[in-house]
Amino acid sequence: MADLGQDDIIICEGVKKWFGDFQALTGVTTRIKEQEVVVVIGPSGSGKSTFIRCINRLEAHQEGTIVVDGIELTNDLRNIEKIRAEVGMVFQQFNLFPHLTVLDNVTLAPLWVRKTPKGESDAQAMQLLERVGIPEQAEKYPGQLSGGQQQRVAIARALAMNPKIMLFDEPTSALDPEMIKEVLDVMKELAQSGMTMIVVTHEMGFAREVADRVLFFDYGTIVEEGTPEHFFTSPEHDRTKLFLSQIL
Amino acid sequence: MAVEVQQRHQRPPLWRDVTVLKWAAQLVVLAVVAAILWILGTTGAGNIDDRGLTFGWRWLTDPPGISIREGIDLLPDSGSRAMLVGIVNMLRVTVSGIIVATILGTIIGIARLSKNWIVNKTANVYIETIRNTPLLVQIFFWAALLRLFDEPLEADIGVKWLHISSKGLAIPWIRPDIGFWQWLVFVVVGLYFARVMYRRRIRHLEESGEEAYAFTYAAGTVLLFALVGWFAHPLMAFLGPVWGGIASFFGALPTWVVQAVLAVGALGIAGWWIKRFLDGLRTPAGLAKLTDDDIFRIVFASLAGVIFAALFIVQGGISNLVLDGMRNLFEFFDGKFGAAEGGLRTGLPLRWSRPFVEVTGANFFQYGSGGIVITGGFFAIWVGVTLYTASFIAEVVRAGILAVVRGQTEAASALGLRRSQSLRLVILPQAFRIILPPLGNQYLNLAKNTSLGIAVSYPEIVLVGQTLYNQTGQTLPVVLFWMVFYLSVSLILSSIVNYYNRKLQLVER
Amino acid sequence: MTGRIVLPDTEPERPPEPPPHGPIVWAHENLFSTVASGILTVVVGTLVVLFLVGVLGFIFGADRRWDAVFFNTRLMMTQAYPEDQYFRVWLSLGIIVSLTGLSLAVWQVGGRVSLNRITRLLSSIGAGLIGLEVLGPFSIRARVIGILIGLVLIGGSYLVKRAAGERAKQETIPLMAIVGIVPALGVVALYVLRIPTRLAEDNYAEQVLAPIANSTRIPITVLFVVGVVAYSVGVLMLDRMPNATARVALVGLWVLSLPAIVLTILRDPELDYDKILAIPGFQEGYLWWAVIFAVGGSLLITYLGSPARGEGGRAIGGLLVVVALASWGVSMLVLIRLFLLFLATFALAAPTFGGGEGRARARIVGLWVMTVAAAAYFVVLVSGPSTVQVQTTFFIGGLFLSFILAIFGIVLSFPLGVLFALGRTSSMPIFRLMCVAYIEVVRGVPFITWLLTAIIVFPIFLPLGVQVSNVVAVLVMTVLFSAAYLAENVRGGLQSVSGGQIEAAKALGMTTAQTTVFIILPQALRAVIPALVGQVIGTFKDTSLVIIVGLFDFLAIARNVIPNQRVPFNNLDALTEPLMYAALVYWIFTFSFSRASQRLEKKLGVGER
Repeated sequence: MADLGQDDIIICEGVKKWFGDFQALTGVTTRIKEQEVVVVIGPSGSGKSTFIRCINRLEAHQEGTIVVDGIELTNDLRNIEKIRAEVGMVFQQFNLFPHLTVLDNVTLAPLWVRKTPKGESDAQAMQLLERVGIPEQAEKYPGQLSGGQQQRVAIARALAMNPKIMLFDEPTSALDPEMIKEVLDVMKELAQSGMTMIVVTHEMGFAREVADRVLFFDYGTIVEEGTPEHFFTSPEHDRTKLFLSQIL
Repeated sequence: MAVEVQQRHQRPPLWRDVTVLKWAAQLVVLAVVAAILWILGTTGAGNIDDRGLTFGWRWLTDPPGISIREGIDLLPDSGSRAMLVGIVNMLRVTVSGIIVATILGTIIGIARLSKNWIVNKTANVYIETIRNTPLLVQIFFWAALLRLFDEPLEADIGVKWLHISSKGLAIPWIRPDIGFWQWLVFVVVGLYFARVMYRRRIRHLEESGEEAYAFTYAAGTVLLFALVGWFAHPLMAFLGPVWGGIASFFGALPTWVVQAVLAVGALGIAGWWIKRFLDGLRTPAGLAKLTDDDIFRIVFASLAGVIFAALFIVQGGISNLVLDGMRNLFEFFDGKFGAAEGGLRTGLPLRWSRPFVEVTGANFFQYGSGGIVITGGFFAIWVGVTLYTASFIAEVVRAGILAVVRGQTEAASALGLRRSQSLRLVILPQAFRIILPPLGNQYLNLAKNTSLGIAVSYPEIVLVGQTLYNQTGQTLPVVLFWMVFYLSVSLILSSIVNYYNRKLQLVER
Repeated sequence: MTGRIVLPDTEPERPPEPPPHGPIVWAHENLFSTVASGILTVVVGTLVVLFLVGVLGFIFGADRRWDAVFFNTRLMMTQAYPEDQYFRVWLSLGIIVSLTGLSLAVWQVGGRVSLNRITRLLSSIGAGLIGLEVLGPFSIRARVIGILIGLVLIGGSYLVKRAAGERAKQETIPLMAIVGIVPALGVVALYVLRIPTRLAEDNYAEQVLAPIANSTRIPITVLFVVGVVAYSVGVLMLDRMPNATARVALVGLWVLSLPAIVLTILRDPELDYDKILAIPGFQEGYLWWAVIFAVGGSLLITYLGSPARGEGGRAIGGLLVVVALASWGVSMLVLIRLFLLFLATFALAAPTFGGGEGRARARIVGLWVMTVAAAAYFVVLVSGPSTVQVQTTFFIGGLFLSFILAIFGIVLSFPLGVLFALGRTSSMPIFRLMCVAYIEVVRGVPFITWLLTAIIVFPIFLPLGVQVSNVVAVLVMTVLFSAAYLAENVRGGLQSVSGGQIEAAKALGMTTAQTTVFIILPQALRAVIPALVGQVIGTFKDTSLVIIVGLFDFLAIARNVIPNQRVPFNNLDALTEPLMYAALVYWIFTFSFSRASQRLEKKLGVGER
């Protein structure tokens, strides 16, 4: 397990969010330290995806405060751009750009957002593709890859921005069972390298093995949190017990 | 230990606030567009003054001093009447064109899917030829074709079955005769009973499961009534005084009553529409969130209601027009029932006649009053738009049928339905749902394409408008008139299509 | 490591041979499969035969005046473009032909076709010829010759197929070789074939035999050779340089050549060198203004494009927009106003699209210099009067005018249409409302109404002294009209791009402009290529309507000019012939275009997704 830094890199206080009449987040308060790996679990519709999408402001929260790496998330154009470049995200549906090659997918953001020179970003991209285990696919198009390979490209693409924090929104839910492992392996390696990670997932094995802390979401808020050990052996809350009994 | 949350809810500076920037950009663009329009407007107004032109609507009421080749009124007494003639001519082509193009297009579209090689290829050649040639070329061609039939006159005088010349096609035609309106009452009543009969047979089918021949029964009912009415229509003569009574009732009605009724009616329709619209959006949990478009629709509907109500109240002329119209209508009915010039009205309801070619001078001829003459302009524009639209409809139908999942066809044949049965009972009803929206689009295109009548001197609204502004110099108002007219046609046609579309979608659920 | 299953080393089973088929089996399956189908075949077949007999009898009838079409070919192509300037037309065609040849080679259009398909094609041509000879109103001699040629074609292809046997399916020939043969045969025909011709000078009724296209066969031959050479050069180019570079260069050449052909070569403007080279003032000195803006703009863009110039850059860009808009209120060269407008756009885009690296910035600066040069070039050309001596107001007509209207209409309406589509799908309500209003109003009213409006209403709204010719008014209206339809097509593509794509781009920190340019538009435009091609065809067909507002396009010559010719030939009764010819020409272009688009669609569908 990686050493945890001393500083809180993400601070959430009383975060609330509505979609029309429906309240998706009912007041989320938590702090996440540098190099911490946090796994978020909970039934569907409990607001866990909305929560992590608020952290890089794909969704704008309406009440409460979110501070990421010392910057508060507001309507400020400059802050939004800065935060998004610092926070990488991996989606359930991969969302690779189908009209670009794998290499171009990875280098696009460094080129145009970080303004990295082409040679440098290409070299970095190849390094990352090697790290996720598919350097030989660099010239292919996403449609020619398997789901697991696509998701690994998506991880490489997010890493290419040198983010301080990585968000994973159910990264293995759209994968065939035999491909889940290859993605989880990459994520484990990433966690061990000291990346701050927030992972929404249904993979309890991953949570048990890698997480520093588990957050259980229900009704748009954190119902229970603790170490994986606490969580899977002696959960306190009834909702948590019920959920775990259904899923395990 | 941890960084405190210090910068609580700092508002970002204005020039970095996303929301502010968005609205500022929109307002700037709006301002630029408004400025451009304003500059154009003032230049336009200045130019109109400088050139001694005027901008006004007097031409709508003034005598236009033009004659129109064909239509309900060849020598209209006002500009608006002339435009009405153009509109009616346009609608004649549109409505008849839509009906025939739909039938033809459906047949060709199905033929395009036929397994029979020659049928399939013929349909294919038709589609590829017609849709890849400009419509205007085709229209010119049909007009030019008629000229080839011009022949020396001598052999041609007299009563004909069919006479073709560059003036048009003269064909035999059935026209209403003296007893027509009295007979029509029988037919209308017959239609009502046919409907009753149809429903009864359908119920019989559902209850007993026997073949009910519902359509045959209904058609038989109408025919029976028509047949009886053919001989018994003088019985309806008593309706004449009734119509007369209604006409004099409208004559006696004061204008303000009509104004009030119309205004309340306009508001009522708007209110009813909004209520229905909101009901449609309501979810079990309560009122759903309204989108911008929804709010726009509601505001537009209520505005329209208020504007119409105000219009009816301020412009008493409209109500007078309605009153006169109703009175004239019922006086017209009065004149068609009961006593004719020579006593009781006992003549035939319908009479058919053949065209008559008469000579009016050296090398000139004209068609007499018999039969009907499809003028060269109408022929060219009608054949043109109908064949052209049919080729597009065929593609729409084909795509719709192909879009019905293959499994449906297989399921139908697994049930033991014959190919024709599965087409009629399973595929077409489903395909229709897919076909309807693009079909509506094609109808709209047909309506807009009738404007090409100007190229073959068919006096639809564009040609009449052009003649009018050449006469009066009022170009801008005529152009505005065209736009409002075509936009209304688009709006009406698309709301009809939307209505049926929504109805079909509801059935599905 | 997962284990690996080794497949047994066996040949995969082959599908069973298809049952033997011959014409009788084919007819049984496709014409007489059921009783109903048989009846249908007989009925439809009879109708088709009767129809064909009628049509062929009409087309080849003795009293048809096809000579009215043949002797007016030049009129239909270019209207009355002066004889002594005609090399300009040939030069333009030469450029287009050579670019076409290069493009066909570089894009590797066509691929290869199997011998099987070629023999089938030849025998259908033979069958078609026999059908034509049987049904048409020809002399016995012509019939016998035609039927013999048809039989030879069918028999020959059958023998070839027989001899090739199984190889007929595998043996392939490049499609372009076959496509090349057709014009080659055409060129040979120009020298070999002779047709009955009426003498124009004194007694036009007398007929003699003369070669086809007597006066133009040399230029046509040269054009054919140029095309073949260009294709060969393209094939060589493919081996020597990277494909992508060649394609980009060709697209650039196409984009430059079309306006250059129309404005420089065909229009031949008279240039006022005093005004162009004068010391820059508000009313003169085109050249120096261009240099000033090119240099100054490059410096500004380099400065703005450097990293970390975010808000200051936007402020300068905003300021430039205001200046550019204000310039329209001050009297000055239109060119300067255009420069200011372009500069404002570039300044706004520079912080987003200029990279931190020198190369990306060099690219945007290069684009700027090219924009300045192109704008200066075209404005100077347009502002000089044409020196081509014609009686009408516009220097060219006929098919050339139809093409100019269609191509310029489509190309110019494209950026506008994309903008409207983006506005219509934007999340900003005022933009959306404005775009919806524009699109719906334009689409709700027929094109002919808009054309009449352009002719009669544009002059009212223009400032005094500014005049536009009818052709320009019609072209502007075509652009505005086509943009609304294009916007609807592009909107379909925009909606097909999934929200996840946009979210992914945003999550990477890309701005809205970058997301639109790099992620949304490439995908959206690719998705709507078929619809866009459909619209190109539609616009080409729509250009025929300009006859109604009095322009001399292809159709106007066919329908209004030729049938009114008395001298040298009496063509007064030749009306259907030019119309049918016009229909055929329009049909050839639209049909081949729609076929090409279907191929393209398939290619795109297979290639990269």
